[in-house]
Amino acid sequence: MKTQLVQTPFEDFLKLSAYLTDFAEFELRGTGQAELYYSTVSGIVGDGTMHELLEAFSALRQTAQGDQALLEKGMRGAILSDEKLGPIARNLIKLWYIGTWYQLPAAWRERHGMIAEDRTFIPSPSSYVEGLLWPAIGAHPPGAKAPGYGSWTTAPEIPSSPQH
Amino acid sequence: MSLTPILTLETLRQYLYAAIQLEHATIPTYLTTLYSIHPGTNLDAVQVLRVVAVEEMLHMTLSANMLNAVGGKVDLTQPGFVPKFPTYLPNGETDFQVNLERFSPSALATFLQIERPDKPQGSSPRLVRRPSNRSHILPKHQSSEGEDLHFYSIGDFYHAIQLGLEHLCNELGEEQVFSGDRSRQITPEYYYSGGGEINAVYDLATAKTAIRLISEQGEGYEGAILDFENEMSHYYRFDQLVKGRYYRAGDVRENPTGDPVNVNWQASYPIKTNARLSDYPEGSDLYHAAKEYNQIYKDFLASLTVAFDGRPDLFIPAVAGMFKIKEKTLQLIRNPMPGIEGLHAAPTFEVE
Repeated sequence: MKTQLVQTPFEDFLKLSAYLTDFAEFELRGTGQAELYYSTVSGIVGDGTMHELLEAFSALRQTAQGDQALLEKGMRGAILSDEKLGPIARNLIKLWYIGTWYQLPAAWRERHGMIAEDRTFIPSPSSYVEGLLWPAIGAHPPGAKAPGYGSWTTAPEIPSSPQH
Repeated sequence: MSLTPILTLETLRQYLYAAIQLEHATIPTYLTTLYSIHPGTNLDAVQVLRVVAVEEMLHMTLSANMLNAVGGKVDLTQPGFVPKFPTYLPNGETDFQVNLERFSPSALATFLQIERPDKPQGSSPRLVRRPSNRSHILPKHQSSEGEDLHFYSIGDFYHAIQLGLEHLCNELGEEQVFSGDRSRQITPEYYYSGGGEINAVYDLATAKTAIRLISEQGEGYEGAILDFENEMSHYYRFDQLVKGRYYRAGDVRENPTGDPVNVNWQASYPIKTNARLSDYPEGSDLYHAAKEYNQIYKDFLASLTVAFDGRPDLFIPAVAGMFKIKEKTLQLIRNPMPGIEGLHAAPTFEVE
């Protein structure tokens, strides 16, 4: 057991994911998918490109110094509109919400390489169940996380919006 | 010394309340260990732990039925109902404590203690000496030499309840003992699946049925591996995980000869043993989540109390609360303790 001082790429990945999904890091870790998604995306786009994406986000946060409007502007300009990083960031949102990695757009693949691992797939059996889509709409994933026998006779419980 | 420590209805009710408390005390510990297992791994262990935890919930409900049947009140919101972990069991066993801990040999060793079979020895529950340096919710029993005694096992404890019931029925008459309103019973229409048959308790025979089910599912019938229904008791289910091998019909204790059980102790989250709210940095998301968890658990016990207190129709929606608790437990356990590498969070079950 030792105290951690240095921010790891995985923690940067969580910060970026939290920003892109509007879910707290606590909730992202709570899905049990965080490490898997980090290694999945790194494995597909490569450590170098992952590093580039995380560095870009770190730089934006440093510049914004807590100014949310500035951070959002930077995110839209430097990441989401970037022809290399944008599709990855959008894929990351889809991965967290739906639990599926979608093959990157044809234009991206032509430009940056046809990567064998880059195909549409579901990283783990839990990915669908743990998709952020479900808490976001206040439902349980159909076929999983059943809310209990007879619970359909009571009014649905709408969860509060993600905490920050 | 009387070997039937239950001589009054009031004592009987105290024992039955302790029984509910006892059954409940095992649930946080079994569930914490179960939910610490990495998803998709240790499938045999997951199955064993899940079945046992669900059966404990059945036992708790049966004990509540018994307490209602003898005119008692089931209140799960009383101070001290939820133990502070590490804890001794409420039936007075003092030679081991129960923790909230990860899936590990140490957790399983404790589970075997919890479910240890009583020893067959005629009609008297087995009592052993206990140190008297802590408070007990049960009245003390003393040997002829003036030593404090406690029950050796959960089976011995229920055995004493049964003897007490028989004694009181002889003294006061069955109707006088089972004076509870039958409409307060949790009957099968309010109890979906969940580990066996729930039975309404309204006389000595139905009380004995409930006690037999609890004892056989837990510790086995007189220490046997399989009970009358050919079901394996909790003790042997757990022992299979420790021994890495399934018991099969004809096996003797300590020596299973069935198929191997695959156990991977590494494939579980390294949660902090007996975590407390004060372990989490105040103001962090984790702190809020752990605090919210305790409130949810408290509300859950309150809703069960309402159901046990004359509203059995509210039992099903109350039980649905367990599914929410499961998700919240998993969420906490998958989060690391901030600033401490190698340890994960866990629910603290501090409801007071």
